[in-house]
Amino acid sequence: MSENMKFTGSNTYIASEELMAAVDVARVLEKPLLIKGEPGTGKTMLAEAISQSLNMPLYIWNIKSTTKAQDGLYVYDTVQRLYDSQFGGKDVDNIAQYIKLGKLGEAFKNEEQVILLIDEIDKADLEFPNDLLWELDKMEFYIHETGETVKAKKRPIVIITSNAEKELPDAFLRRCIFHYISFPEPAQMDEIVRAHFETIDENLLKQAMDTFYWIRTLKEVRKKPSTSELIDWLRALIHGGIEPEVIRTTMPYLGVLIKKDEDLQVVNKRRF
Amino acid sequence: MFTGFFYTLKNKGLDVSTTEWLTLHDALDKGLAHSSLEEFYYLGRMILVKRESDFDKYDLAFMEYFKGVRSEDEVPQHILDFLDKQDMKFDTQNKELYSINVKRDANEVKRLFRERLGEQHTEHNGGNYWIGTSGGSAFGHHGRNPGGIRVGGESGMRTAFQVMGERRYQDFRHDKTLDIRQFQVAFRRLRQFSSKLDVPKTELDINKTVDSTCSNGGFLQLEFDKPRKNTVKLLLLFDCGGTMMPFAELSNNLFQAVHKANHFKDVKTYYFHNCIYGKVYKSAECEMGDWYDLDYIFRHTDKDYKVIIVGDAQMAPEELFDLNGNYSGPNDGMSGYEWNQLIKSKYKKVVWLNPRRHVGMSNSVGWMESEEALAQLYDMYPLTVDGLKAAITKLMETK
Repeated sequence: MSENMKFTGSNTYIASEELMAAVDVARVLEKPLLIKGEPGTGKTMLAEAISQSLNMPLYIWNIKSTTKAQDGLYVYDTVQRLYDSQFGGKDVDNIAQYIKLGKLGEAFKNEEQVILLIDEIDKADLEFPNDLLWELDKMEFYIHETGETVKAKKRPIVIITSNAEKELPDAFLRRCIFHYISFPEPAQMDEIVRAHFETIDENLLKQAMDTFYWIRTLKEVRKKPSTSELIDWLRALIHGGIEPEVIRTTMPYLGVLIKKDEDLQVVNKRRF
Repeated sequence: MFTGFFYTLKNKGLDVSTTEWLTLHDALDKGLAHSSLEEFYYLGRMILVKRESDFDKYDLAFMEYFKGVRSEDEVPQHILDFLDKQDMKFDTQNKELYSINVKRDANEVKRLFRERLGEQHTEHNGGNYWIGTSGGSAFGHHGRNPGGIRVGGESGMRTAFQVMGERRYQDFRHDKTLDIRQFQVAFRRLRQFSSKLDVPKTELDINKTVDSTCSNGGFLQLEFDKPRKNTVKLLLLFDCGGTMMPFAELSNNLFQAVHKANHFKDVKTYYFHNCIYGKVYKSAECEMGDWYDLDYIFRHTDKDYKVIIVGDAQMAPEELFDLNGNYSGPNDGMSGYEWNQLIKSKYKKVVWLNPRRHVGMSNSVGWMESEEALAQLYDMYPLTVDGLKAAITKLMETK
């Protein structure tokens, strides 16, 4: 890959200069990029945007509470092999055919340089990040059953996202480049919204943004509405043909912005 | 290079490791800072700082160490001094003036800014050219230029593309006495595996499979078993009395650690005020009537629940020993001490975590008496990581 390739955001993803620099540093230093931020600030979308912008394939490994580090490397399907040994048809001595690579394994096997997104790493067990230290450092792992070492031909660009549900271990953090996506300021939000709508009524946008940021200032609101919810809300407003003047006072389709019952009550109580 | 900066960071309480420091130098070698102080700031932050709550410490360290460095964007003190005015209002009426300022491109503004810095020696307020307050110039504050550089003053319209010396991450800062993670790791030891639970059989049992296959004349017969699950059930009782206020955050960390640990079979949390009597509260506010009878709790938990009581055990002797000692609710016929004895006898394992114990605070003689009485009744440990580990060992040992 040529050195002057640089991530500059994409048509639908507006990245701050800081974020673009962070992606660049992570790529050049060959370290995983850890992205933290409020829900709805576009952590997951970042990987898609990078993959588009640099024209590299994207592998997404979604982490759940039950995910083990091993799942990302490979799974050995013992039961299938036992069945095959019974009913024949396949050469059961060839263990390799019962090894199924996980997302990490697939990303390593790819001939090209790829983007690997490890999404919501904090969902998994407390020790999960520690179990991946070697694999992410060396970009290789060993398959015991076949004695094969899977090694990345070109180091993938690794993006890791976290919602800060759990504290991550220090040993893991030390190896990462860290970027915190702060909630967009109105000016940047304006840019983000415009990237999603070809044309938008200026007055409608202004009224909706004012209301949106006003709701975010309410301390009692527990789940603050995020970027993606603002965009959904704007869609709803446009689709419903709402007059911009009444947005502040009647707040139509508020359920799109606010998902909790208690929060709805708070907003209804505080509005003019 | 910049070894002093490393120690400035350490002094500000940032735990920067040697690995990270070397990574930063590697990045500098590769020219990632582009010989700019601003980009060096971001580069250092993304490599050395891994929590947004630490950004503020980094900002402080950076300002302290690099304050002597004269960057080309630096604003001389005499200009900052006259800009330092309180009570400025934005001139929002004058729409005409606003509109004549076309947005310049960022590099152009930067270049002009440097030019002005070189020329300007006096104070300017209003006007469209110099660095000053109000007016339509691209430099200064409380002005109407949408794409300028803000110099000093409060952030108002937030349209300046470059904001200098602003500690934006101050709010994220929280100096934690103890890491939640350390508590979480300690709680990991609170587990007892059993396969006697009522869950589907999903795990392949190799031994049984071999046996069945053999007795099946060599034809494969798969056998499954129930997966082993943690069977530990927890009952937490938190003291929310006034004397616990200084330890609110510590208790909260413990609370968070337990609730983020998802490996327990069941966790029940209740609250009490100073001393446990016949009722425990459902919420930390300890409001009258918002409670369960202790009897109700006893009926809904069996003796295998492991009980952790968190409190400072600070109370007047009569609160513990008198039949009418409870000043914030009913006593329910027994003294606090007798209620505590009942809890102790009801459950197999009970420990008390006391946030006050390790601090070595001096007690008044009377309060000391209650604390010692409870410490003799329960196994009492200080609320520290080591104390928690010891308490958990106590909870797990089999007698």
